[in-house]
Amino acid sequence: MGGKTKEQKQYQSLEQKHEVKRPVLKNCIKAFFVGGLFCIVGQAITYFYIYFFNFTEQTAGNPTVATMVFISMLLTGFGVYDHIGQFAGAGSAVPVTGFGNAVISAAIEHRTEGFVLGVGGNMFKLAGSVILFGVFSAFVVALIKVLLIKWGVI
Amino acid sequence: MRKILITYFFVIVTLLCACNNDGSKESGLALVKTTNPAPLSLEKSTKKELDLIGAIEQDVESFKELYDVSVLKGKEDILVAYKVRHMQRFHMKKIEKKIKKLLEDKYSQENFIVSSDYKIFLEAVKLEEKLKDPTYSTEKAEKRLQEIIKLKKELT
Repeated sequence: MGGKTKEQKQYQSLEQKHEVKRPVLKNCIKAFFVGGLFCIVGQAITYFYIYFFNFTEQTAGNPTVATMVFISMLLTGFGVYDHIGQFAGAGSAVPVTGFGNAVISAAIEHRTEGFVLGVGGNMFKLAGSVILFGVFSAFVVALIKVLLIKWGVI
Repeated sequence: MRKILITYFFVIVTLLCACNNDGSKESGLALVKTTNPAPLSLEKSTKKELDLIGAIEQDVESFKELYDVSVLKGKEDILVAYKVRHMQRFHMKKIEKKIKKLLEDKYSQENFIVSSDYKIFLEAVKLEEKLKDPTYSTEKAEKRLQEIIKLKKELT
């Protein structure tokens, strides 16, 4: 940052005086509980797949994630997820449901620009980075695992 | 709008609950409570067989990290399914390896499939329940057992 001018420092102190203090702890607790609630729903869906379909605990994860994303997409479309997001913050954005929200909210936002350039081009504006870094980190982890197995470490 | 949504939700929940009727008594609760199923052999139940699977069940139950052990003996494979205590679930892989090693060392001529998966346990209990029906043929049971084993080996 280097040196701040006198005016900048003055402005900063002024800003701090007027800024509303964020209730960080309260927000954290809210996020914790709402995020946990999502996880309960996800667990219920996992058991649903184990119980009624031919999925084991090992394999039930994939359809569960897909279902959760689908549910959050529906909720975003109906406008319910925005309220949850406002209340819970990170609690609703960090779980995989936040991915569905990011996709659909971008799609709704750019609907007026048409289907190709609007919805199609902007749908993965935010979710695209999730996919990119997810795939890339999975690739790196798999590479490390393959190498370790080849060398006989694990 | 919101009221309609809530109504829809309850209707769907009620409809889904209605599908729950076909689950039979014991196996329906196998995921929730301790069932302690008896060890069973699909083939002949001679004294020697029963002793063998009884001993296997005892050996597995002696691990204090787990509870609810189900042992099913087919023609060639023995399926051992169990539930791991909640606080030990982080060590599930290690426990599985340990049990497999113990069983294979002790009963070296048998072929074991060891699983801590809820699904495998549930299916094992269901199969045991079906076996109580005398009209349920051994071939069918063996086929079902092989299906469960295939399910266990599936990873994706």
